[in-house]
Amino acid sequence: MKESRSDAVFAGVLTAIMILFAVVALIPLVNVLSLSLSSKVPVEMNRVNLLPVGLTTDSWSYIIGNEAMWRSFGLTVFSTVTGVVLALFLNAIMAYPLSKTRFKPGRTIMILVVGTMIFKAPTVPYFLTLRSYGLYNSVLVLILPHILSAYNLAIMRTFFKQFPSEVEEAAEIDGCGSFQTLIRIVLPSSKAVLATVGLFYGVAIWNQFQHPMMFISKTELYPLQLKIRQLINAGGDITGMVVRSNVNYNETTLGAAAVVFAIVPVVAVYPWLQKYFAKGAMLGSVKG
Amino acid sequence: MTSVQRKKAASGFRGLAGDLRKAWPLYLMVLPGVIYLIAFRYIPMLGSVVAFQDYSVFKGILGSPFVGLKYFEKLFSSYDFSRIFGNTLILGFIKTILLFPVPVILALMINEIKRTAIKKGVQTAIYIPHFLSWVIVGGLVFDILGVGGLFNNVRAFLGMETILPMQKESWFRPIYAASSIWKESGWGTVVYLAALSSMDPSIYESAAIDGANRFQRFIYITLPLLVPTILTLFLINIGGFLDLGFEQVYNLQTPMTYEVSDIFDTYVYRVGILQAQYSFTTAVGLFQSVIGLILVVTFNTLANKYTDDGGLW
Repeated sequence: MKESRSDAVFAGVLTAIMILFAVVALIPLVNVLSLSLSSKVPVEMNRVNLLPVGLTTDSWSYIIGNEAMWRSFGLTVFSTVTGVVLALFLNAIMAYPLSKTRFKPGRTIMILVVGTMIFKAPTVPYFLTLRSYGLYNSVLVLILPHILSAYNLAIMRTFFKQFPSEVEEAAEIDGCGSFQTLIRIVLPSSKAVLATVGLFYGVAIWNQFQHPMMFISKTELYPLQLKIRQLINAGGDITGMVVRSNVNYNETTLGAAAVVFAIVPVVAVYPWLQKYFAKGAMLGSVKG
Repeated sequence: MTSVQRKKAASGFRGLAGDLRKAWPLYLMVLPGVIYLIAFRYIPMLGSVVAFQDYSVFKGILGSPFVGLKYFEKLFSSYDFSRIFGNTLILGFIKTILLFPVPVILALMINEIKRTAIKKGVQTAIYIPHFLSWVIVGGLVFDILGVGGLFNNVRAFLGMETILPMQKESWFRPIYAASSIWKESGWGTVVYLAALSSMDPSIYESAAIDGANRFQRFIYITLPLLVPTILTLFLINIGGFLDLGFEQVYNLQTPMTYEVSDIFDTYVYRVGILQAQYSFTTAVGLFQSVIGLILVVTFNTLANKYTDDGGLW
């Protein structure tokens, strides 16, 4: 009895510590939200912590009304959606033959796939090669480099391997070719793995920074992350506006609003992210 | 070639041709992916020859003169190289070894939470940062550590003077560690929690009845359950020791902290891509790739040998 009471106390203490940890983890998000909703003067007087001071939506109005911001947003939405569709198609049609033991070159091709995890091209030759493909200052550089990763391909392949072969054989006897079997029979019952892998690619494309940093120099082709960084860093194109005294925002509040602007879509799809990413994290290695 | 060998080769070829005739749709389906891998992953590797050339954009890879190991000699004698190599090692140590236990400890603590609602709530809160980009995380860090940020407001409350940690060399590594914990340690618990949830609670109960105290149950039941996962992830992590990621460091560094914050990736970007010193920085990158290759292969082999789950491949 004594033991179980001390157990309960112990569990209670750990629970309290973890709740505290979770609350602390949320503080940066609460802080940036407050900054984005605060007036210029309290921010400049360092009075904003966890709650907005001098509540105003002026920074938000500026960000929402900023055409360049929406152009970057649209570009990022476009490249994410296109990238995910392309990636799922490319991965599915490649993973399917690789999941078949009767597909003879499968082993050789898997070596090629695993090789990309071992051998990595140095940044500069990678940059020079992709530039020679015409990807410098091209929207395609936001999509094409991200649509096939060994890890995600392996997840799909493992899933296809578990598909009951009797069903596929029946479909082929009925006259379906391999491609038709994949599209009509296998993919419709692979929604969970498609969602998992699709979200992996989607988040990677949405959050990408290094590729646009290297390949995009035209501001009108900036994806969201680059646009946000520009706003956070230099004040960017907003500096001219800020010096005017009749506005109720400054670089800090605008930067904060931009950061929240970029967080909102992620939080909106967060329930799905949490569910399917956890599934994907379990699927592990390229073997099997 | 003996006649047997010739026969084998011929039948091998006929086998492939026959297979191709029979299963051509499968061949056709892998083709785009294979072309993709060659174009986007393998051909760029060939470009590494510019490390042995005086590469000029106008002459191209085929026309630039070869200079042997000139850039590697320059590399190994340069101050920048020892600085960025040292920084990479230190940050790699922080990320793969020093911070490695954090998700394990968090998972063990979350596992003790009895109320499902609280458990779910805690998990939801600490997983969020994983899905934010480093640009966003960098923005949050700059906000909190800025002149009027939360950090300095707390310091002012405690009667301490205002400081600018982002501009101080001595602060870079702690900030790097803290931001790593904030962004990834919560998410890192997922795998361990899955391993813990596979535990049969009746084992725990019967051990308790047999008089095992909390510490003994932890040592003899919980820990052995986690060890395979811990070992696998530890070996895989060390294999990726040099993959610190350009994005985290780039979004946290300022020119005032270059001395301690520059790693291979950020240096190559600034000097290689922005200042167009292509040959020199390819030599830097090639050095990094080769060390990385040795690490990945070594530790993947170890993982396959000593763990149940095995390595990445």
